[in-house]
Amino acid sequence: MKRQLKVVVAIALALGLTAAACGGDDDDEGGGDETSERSGSTVNIGEQDFGESAILSQIYKQALEADGFKAETVGLGGFRPLLLAAFESGDVNFAPDYLAANLEELNGGAGEATGDADETLAKLEPRLEELGLVAFTPSDAVDTNAFVVTKETADDLGLETISDLAEKGEGLTLGAPQDCEENAFCLPGLKEAYGLDLSAGFTPLDTGVIPTSLEEGAIDVALLFSTDGRIADEDWVLLEDDKQMLAADNVLPIASQELADEYGEDLSALVDKVSAELTTDDLIEMNKRYDVDKEDAEDIAADWLADHNLD
Amino acid sequence: MGETWSQMWDYLGSDAAWNGRNGLPSLLWAHLQLSFTALVIATILALPPAIVLGHVRRGALLAVSVVNIGRAVPSFAVIALLLPFSLRWGFGLGFWPTLVALVLLAVPPIFTNTYTGIRDVPDDAVEAAQGMGMQSGELVRKVEVPVALPLILTGLRVSAVQVVATATLGALVGYRCLGTPIVAGFTKSDKGPLLAAAILVALVALFTDGAFARAQRWLVPWRATRQRPHDNPIAEGQTQ
Amino acid sequence: MIVAADEPLVRWDWVGDHLDDIRADAIEHVQLTVLAVGLGFVLAMGMALMARRWRWTYGPLAGFCAVVYAIPSLALFGILVPITGLGIVPAEIALVGYTLLILLRNNVAGFDGVSAPVLEAADGMGYEPWRRVLRIDLPLALPAIIAGLRIATVTTVGLVTVASLVGKGGFGNLINDGLGRDFSTPVVVGTVLSVALAIVFDLLFVLLERVATPWARKAPRIAPIDPGMPARIATSLGVRPEEVAVDG
Repeated sequence: MKRQLKVVVAIALALGLTAAACGGDDDDEGGGDETSERSGSTVNIGEQDFGESAILSQIYKQALEADGFKAETVGLGGFRPLLLAAFESGDVNFAPDYLAANLEELNGGAGEATGDADETLAKLEPRLEELGLVAFTPSDAVDTNAFVVTKETADDLGLETISDLAEKGEGLTLGAPQDCEENAFCLPGLKEAYGLDLSAGFTPLDTGVIPTSLEEGAIDVALLFSTDGRIADEDWVLLEDDKQMLAADNVLPIASQELADEYGEDLSALVDKVSAELTTDDLIEMNKRYDVDKEDAEDIAADWLADHNLD
Repeated sequence: MGETWSQMWDYLGSDAAWNGRNGLPSLLWAHLQLSFTALVIATILALPPAIVLGHVRRGALLAVSVVNIGRAVPSFAVIALLLPFSLRWGFGLGFWPTLVALVLLAVPPIFTNTYTGIRDVPDDAVEAAQGMGMQSGELVRKVEVPVALPLILTGLRVSAVQVVATATLGALVGYRCLGTPIVAGFTKSDKGPLLAAAILVALVALFTDGAFARAQRWLVPWRATRQRPHDNPIAEGQTQ
Repeated sequence: MIVAADEPLVRWDWVGDHLDDIRADAIEHVQLTVLAVGLGFVLAMGMALMARRWRWTYGPLAGFCAVVYAIPSLALFGILVPITGLGIVPAEIALVGYTLLILLRNNVAGFDGVSAPVLEAADGMGYEPWRRVLRIDLPLALPAIIAGLRIATVTTVGLVTVASLVGKGGFGNLINDGLGRDFSTPVVVGTVLSVALAIVFDLLFVLLERVATPWARKAPRIAPIDPGMPARIATSLGVRPEEVAVDG
């Protein structure tokens, strides 16, 4: 009996040790050829749980590394509110976020953001300062909410703009993430700006299943990102926001005050340079590569940087 | 954590929590409908084969494999993979794909426990009954099933708890149930509804567990005096 | 579309290109599982020993474990993450929590299964309480304990995939990736590997059980023999229980 017990313990220990030994951290394969290594803090980039965020994080990461910075991406899972908490805890000191979305998060959904990027930024900056954060120059690339229908639906009902939808689409079903009911740029926005109440036909869905649902006709209108690569690929129709309900969701890198102070011009010049090169069409193209062609964010980012001589 | 608690009390005190499509009663009812249907279907699918296989003492490997695979398959992956088919074949979002995933989840514990229970009826009991002239059908009905009843009920009980907890996933594919406030709460700072719904699910699961335990004591009264705090450990325990 | 006409169920070239990621996920999955079951076992054994010594504690302890078990993992993460942040801490808190009920129940069942005469004999032989637990109770309870570990481990393997929500999901990371962009390959690969890992662990435990308890009967029944059995059979046969002699 004693012997058996020893064997049991031995096997258990062996299993445990194997697991521990095999657990060499997957060290991140060092970035591209760095010119000269900078000493100083590592840039920890907060990456959210969707393709575009992964791509943008990779773009900034690789650009920084090419310039000698140490940079890492930190996954934030499906928890958007965690972005700010991660800055607070110091896990993250840089993140490619979106202008209007960021403002609305900080003001508790008050609807302050407008379609004008400068105006929105002006409202955002004081709030960021309060939290010890700083914003870089917004990019021209915009990714905002998109109300999308299939070509058949658009042709059948003659839909080109959201106003058309308000006129002819009252009984249609809308598929969107759960927060659409409170999001100023979703149901409430439609009601206020267009007088369109889609709450009766609203179906809350996980973002991953919305495209499939639209394709299969389970929903009439889908809420997607405006840069979603599948829109063009599937020949869907993005309804135009003719009454400017949607606000300026430019890509906006933000960073902690400490990081910005530490590197000063070196960091901000580089980040702004990258942001300036980024266009909405670029986002659409890269998203298509990610979502439709199933390529890796790392490769997509590397190619974009190479094309723009930033590697 | 304290803030989350007060958010929950605020929510429970609000009108939104109790009325309308997103009110807790309505969500609870939908949740129960889905869970109950899944459990019934799983029972219908699992009991007969398990009884038959247990009776003839065959298929041990199948029983073990079924339960292992069932335990380790991630339910949400199943739902998401089923969704296109569900849509294409006209079953729509929400209820049906989730139902299939829940049935898949519920079958293994019922199957394995029933199989084990029937198979482990002592040989002497079976022989005694056969000696009394019982044929197979009667033997199963009058001896094997009653003797195996504790285990069968345990299987149902384990299944029921799992199904209730996992039905929350239906919210991700458009089924309005108690999972809806939970999923919504991920991206909001007000965690009140999330906590309220989570506790409600837990209460329903615990209540279900207790109800089955009560049913076990009622249907199998000769065990009532036993001190043992456990049921059968063999095939318990799987969560979503 | 996750299973589009022109999209194969599994793109093998993608699998080949991403073997490193898959390997890393495998390691993470195993680590999370072993850690959770290990911690859970230590806690559950502590609780079981407490319940053995002070019978009344079993109720509250089992009740607590049952409550944790009943909370859907989705909700548990939603509640934990704002407090603990992301990563291994909330993942392990949830995973360990879900092992507790099954491990506690099985440990207690195992100890309960050690028959009284054996314990009395041991006490009579002069064993001090803790030595007796170590040398008599524990080895005899081993089948039930191992059965519990087996179930808890296989269950945890399945649950680790859900932890991809907090960035530590092992094979769940693959599944999550695929689900987010209608890409069936990582979903299928992640699911299959997850199930395969569960089977591997299960077989390891079967082996462990054989090695550790060779005296156990071949039939894998863990529950001790039910002394009420004769009465039950009598009832089924239509004979009144009191007319049948019942042993202890």
